[in-house]
Amino acid sequence: MDPKEPKHDDHGHNHDHSHDAITASKNRSYYEIMEIAVRELLVEQKLIGADEIRRQIEVLDSRTPALGAKVVARAWVDSDFRSRLVADGRAACEELGISFYDDTQLIVLENTDTVHNLIVCTLCSCYPRPVLGLPPDWYKLKPYRARAVSEPRSVLAEFGTVIPDNVEIRVSDSTAMVRYLVLPNRPNGTEKYTEEQLAAIVTRDTMIGVAQVKL
Amino acid sequence: MTDTSSLMTRLPNDIGGVPADHIVRSEHELEPWEKRCHALADVLDFRKIINTEEKRRGVEALGSEIIGKLTYYERWIVAFSNILFEKRILTPESLSKKIDEVSLR
Repeated sequence: MDPKEPKHDDHGHNHDHSHDAITASKNRSYYEIMEIAVRELLVEQKLIGADEIRRQIEVLDSRTPALGAKVVARAWVDSDFRSRLVADGRAACEELGISFYDDTQLIVLENTDTVHNLIVCTLCSCYPRPVLGLPPDWYKLKPYRARAVSEPRSVLAEFGTVIPDNVEIRVSDSTAMVRYLVLPNRPNGTEKYTEEQLAAIVTRDTMIGVAQVKL
Repeated sequence: MTDTSSLMTRLPNDIGGVPADHIVRSEHELEPWEKRCHALADVLDFRKIINTEEKRRGVEALGSEIIGKLTYYERWIVAFSNILFEKRILTPESLSKKIDEVSLR
């Protein structure tokens, strides 16, 4: 018998089913158990509904950088939309059917030939979640949060993005209420692209500002 | 002389501009419980029980050792528990009992 194989005939009954379910529950961490406990107590007290958590998980799953890419592509092809987007990011996204499930405001930062924008949350992990989904781990970790504001060019270089010295780098620090989205430059050679083709080249990192849109 | 002034001028979350390591471009798919924890945070905010800023301060109040050793969503759930105790919504006893009950499932 494989020594790694658990012996199943030593607790009063013989059976051939696996103990996966029990093993899985034994592998739950203290904090995972705490999450279950807190949630269930709040549901029992009718302060939140179990359905609300499930629905919010669906909302979170529905938010990906594809939404932000759609906004950017529209701004590239429709200058009136672009003006509305820069004037009020949230309202313009809502025009495209992207709902904001929180109280946050969205400020859209336009890259130009002379300005490159970068977003960060030095205090925590605030991020334009309604349009980009959840942030990557590196966005939430100390090296990015600490250094983006003081040495953005070095940080960008670590992402393989080199911004010429004559282009100003502006770093915007997010808060609980105010979130930012970078509107990257439309690359040359895309004059004949459809809006869908444009959206396909816009990546998450270009809307954070750590990368530029490439063909 | 030991310089303790930085303990007053910078709380644990306030790290903008401090020296730090190179960026490691780490990413991971959230585990199911982490996603549930995130959804719980959003629902607590919608229901005006705990807002984003309270959550951030709740994490900060854990102190640098806990902040340094726990993962992102571990910090959140511990902060939520503490804030819910402060608001008299949960008690340490009720949570402890529930944790024991969940552990046995």
